[in-house]
Amino acid sequence: MIHLAHVTKTFGATRAVDDVSLEVRPGEIVGLVGENGAGKTTLMRIAAGEIAADAGTLEREGRAELVHQHFMLVDALTIAENLALTHRGFRFTTRRMIEREAQQIIDGSGIELRDAARRVAELSVGERSKLELIKAIARKPATLILDEPTSVLTPTESEELFRVMRRLSAEGTAVVFISHKLPEVLAVAERIVVMRGGRVVVESATSETNAQVLADAMVGSPVSRFPGIPVAGQLGNRATGQPGRGEITAIVGVAGNGQAELAARLRDELPDAGHIPEDRTRDGVIAEMTIAENLALKTKRWSPRDAARHAERMIALYSIRAEGPLQRAGDLSGGNQQKVVLARELEWIKSPSSALRAPSPRRRGEGLSTGTSRVPLSPRAGRGWREAPGEGLHLIAAEPARGLDIEATRFVHEQLRAAATAGASILLITSDLDEAFELADAIQVIYRGQLSEPMTPAEASQRVASLMAGVA
Amino acid sequence: MFDLLVNAIPLAVVASIPLLLAVEGELVVQRGGIINLGIEGMMLTAAMTAVVAAQATKSVIAGFAGGIAGAAAIAALFGLFAIVLRADQIVTGTAINLLAAGGTSFVYREVQMFTREIPPLRTDAVLPLAWIAVPIVLGVVLWNSSFGLRLRACGENPEALAATGRSVRTHRWAALMIEALLVGLAGAYLSLALSSGFAENMTAGRGFIALSIVIFGRWKLKGALLGTAIFGLAAAMQYALQAANRGIPFHLLLALPYVVTLLILCGVAGRVRAPQGLGVRQR
Amino acid sequence: MRRVLVAVIAAVAAVLLLAFSGALFGHSPIALLAILIRGSIGSRFALEGTLLKSVPLLLTGLSVVIAFRAGVWNIGGEGQFIVGALAALAAARFGVIASLAAAILAGAAWASIASLMRLWRNAPEVLTTILLNFTAIHLLGWCVNGPLRERAAQYPQTDLAAAALPVVGGVHAGTLIALAASVFAWWMLYRTVEGLRLRATGLNPNAARWAGIPVRSQIVRAMAISGGAAGLAGGIELLGVTHRLFERFAAGYGYSGIAVALLAQLHPLATIASAAFFGALVTGAGELQRTADISAGVATFGQAVVILVLIVFEHVRSSR
Repeated sequence: MIHLAHVTKTFGATRAVDDVSLEVRPGEIVGLVGENGAGKTTLMRIAAGEIAADAGTLEREGRAELVHQHFMLVDALTIAENLALTHRGFRFTTRRMIEREAQQIIDGSGIELRDAARRVAELSVGERSKLELIKAIARKPATLILDEPTSVLTPTESEELFRVMRRLSAEGTAVVFISHKLPEVLAVAERIVVMRGGRVVVESATSETNAQVLADAMVGSPVSRFPGIPVAGQLGNRATGQPGRGEITAIVGVAGNGQAELAARLRDELPDAGHIPEDRTRDGVIAEMTIAENLALKTKRWSPRDAARHAERMIALYSIRAEGPLQRAGDLSGGNQQKVVLARELEWIKSPSSALRAPSPRRRGEGLSTGTSRVPLSPRAGRGWREAPGEGLHLIAAEPARGLDIEATRFVHEQLRAAATAGASILLITSDLDEAFELADAIQVIYRGQLSEPMTPAEASQRVASLMAGVA
Repeated sequence: MFDLLVNAIPLAVVASIPLLLAVEGELVVQRGGIINLGIEGMMLTAAMTAVVAAQATKSVIAGFAGGIAGAAAIAALFGLFAIVLRADQIVTGTAINLLAAGGTSFVYREVQMFTREIPPLRTDAVLPLAWIAVPIVLGVVLWNSSFGLRLRACGENPEALAATGRSVRTHRWAALMIEALLVGLAGAYLSLALSSGFAENMTAGRGFIALSIVIFGRWKLKGALLGTAIFGLAAAMQYALQAANRGIPFHLLLALPYVVTLLILCGVAGRVRAPQGLGVRQR
Repeated sequence: MRRVLVAVIAAVAAVLLLAFSGALFGHSPIALLAILIRGSIGSRFALEGTLLKSVPLLLTGLSVVIAFRAGVWNIGGEGQFIVGALAALAAARFGVIASLAAAILAGAAWASIASLMRLWRNAPEVLTTILLNFTAIHLLGWCVNGPLRERAAQYPQTDLAAAALPVVGGVHAGTLIALAASVFAWWMLYRTVEGLRLRATGLNPNAARWAGIPVRSQIVRAMAISGGAAGLAGGIELLGVTHRLFERFAAGYGYSGIAVALLAQLHPLATIASAAFFGALVTGAGELQRTADISAGVATFGQAVVILVLIVFEHVRSSR
């Protein structure tokens, strides 16, 4: 049982949690939904006792275990060893002893995870998720809080998780299910709480509400689906899966199936293309450098004055919310950092100095146009890939709108579409199916490092779910 | 050449004792996720404090204790900066080495005890200790104990251990103190048993060679022993070649250990699987 | 402004700590401070000595600044200094310019051994550069005792170098070269795209890679420039001050460069002031040894204290 009353938490200038009161009763499954940054994780961290609230009261019976989105596992150790990390003091152990104890813990949790002697590094993302869950359940908490547990699970694995949640709830454990995926929450939760901007906006029994009401509450305005924009430019070669000039190919899949490796390989093999990395804070911008410096990283010549002027232009063009060109990139919000990366990469592929331009005589200043010759880039096909995207790619964007709010997402998608219309061939790597279907002219599924054949959106909509789950 | 090699073995085994102890100590610390570049300074300090203690008390046991105390003081300083203040480990280690280099010269000169005699070491226990007992004990502690498991987690993914409610800092401090014990022994043995007292910069890079051997041995005990054996043999060959007067210039022979170590580091080809959290500053 | 304050406090703290360490052993701290100051800046002779010592420190400091800015641990200034001097000696018969050029190339090559080992064999440069230091020291020992030994064969040293730096207004030309190098380093780091990329590589090599910067070759280039600076320091010390080589020629200039660079907060122009401070410290420590029989190692001790104090300040700043 957890009772939060008028809880507030502020981080710097942002009020992450604003006067929230919430009760979680024993044995019930509560769904906590909201967009990114709505305050769900922060609220639950307070409930679990990880961080302290600035105001309000917390009453809690028994322990609350919070299973994080990011794994807290040691890759080099085995499943059994990871489970043994909680032991106190100093005692002698043998491999067999640890594995036996681990098996007991796993059996007691009711979750299936075979062969505790395997290293965590060898486990699939779904199995790691299960291990985290087992760790939490083993502590026998009164309340179990799951933060976006299905973001890396296949549909089958998600079903398994829901069975476990129902069983735990039947045994008297309270379960809080944080998610932004409404269909799942509606399927398993008894009560749903919607947060937006740090406040609770809707609280209702599942039977008394529906998806549309909840979605509207999450976003704050009626949600509309973007119409698919018709394809412009010439289509690529279907058989080889090379995106044509002006075409966007999306590679979809559950996270952890080789997307990061593909993006990194393409980054190394195609140094002349633009790359938008998945993790914008770690790999996208250099936090200690200014916006102007970040934007100038790909230029041939540099003077501080020109760079500042260029940065000002980009800030205006891409609507980057910043104090000025000399602001530290690390101070920007995630969405604005992404805009900086976008500005840099998109301007690069448009610039005359980009090596992507064909060496044929062409007027200076002409961006990507419908020229006939295509400069072949590294044609080497990687191992294990069914078809190697590579030749002729101008931009590789990985999860470009992840974690961005609706406005920023819309902006990013518009920019990608515009670049494609102007003639760039773009590879989009994403786990967001909506994004893929909205933007792509061709879709391929990635599963365990292998790529499917390219499909049109129509073909893909039938097959994508099963392909992503590994079902042929 | 072969007979030279064989004759060099006993010398190698004894002369590499300080190096081996240092390798063993650094192995523990690096498994915990810390790079102690200051191990050179730690050994040098221990060498000095051991001699001062032995000269002052006329007891060699007190000398060894003094060496360990000196190493522990350096370890405390290093831990204060690297663990508590979360400073960059390389910069801290470099500073420690400079501190020890200047400090030992300064203190030893002030203390003015170099005229006093150093009591001799009358036991052979250190050799089996370094080559047999310590590896066995460390092996059990690191791989067959709950503490060792947690320490290795500190070296791979400290956040994971912290998430279970344990203190990463405490484990790293413990590792550092184990290293201080071993390196203290190493420094003391160097100045009390292998040499006849303290001399400026007498460690001559053994700490850095120890670091290289830890890497060569892929952070495992077997590799550490093997690496030290190879190196020790090469180093002992240096003396044998000198004695045999094979016409190789003296100074170039002095450079031999370092060149050999460079080659050892070359032998670690491709992807070296270091503990994932090694040297990463904790946020 | 705040960074200057931090540096000044660190420098003062080091000196005070030094003086009080002397107190632990019965010396009067005031007397020690007086000797330090007198020995470093208290007379024309002292000032000349300080200036002479500051020049190589400026260059080895720049060497470390460039390397650390690129995220590379070049602790090999000592060896690069020696190798630079050896090359300068060998090329001295072709004139000063050729001699210094040889020094730069030799230092760059010595440093490149380490950076290539990192590139091809993943060998950590923090260790390889240090090991190369020891190697260079013994290489020097072999040279001055063997093939390069002076004709008179009396001492382990070489003959006089065939060239020498001209003296300009009381100081040898190397001083001006070092100052020019400092300005050049600043210009390169902050006014060129190469410098921008170098700094980016040091700040966040992952993001640099994603931005299309060839990180691996960037590191090799940075190490080469860094080694070249240290080599130049050796060449200038030979042609301007000692005019011959002997054992212990490097005398810690390479390692001192680290403290110089850190006190200057890795800024090329601030390195000038930082080098002057440490030059004074070393010269003053020499006087301490002559007059008070205190080991000149206190200068090295002082460098370490400066670095540690700076670390404390950085911690206080970053935990705000």
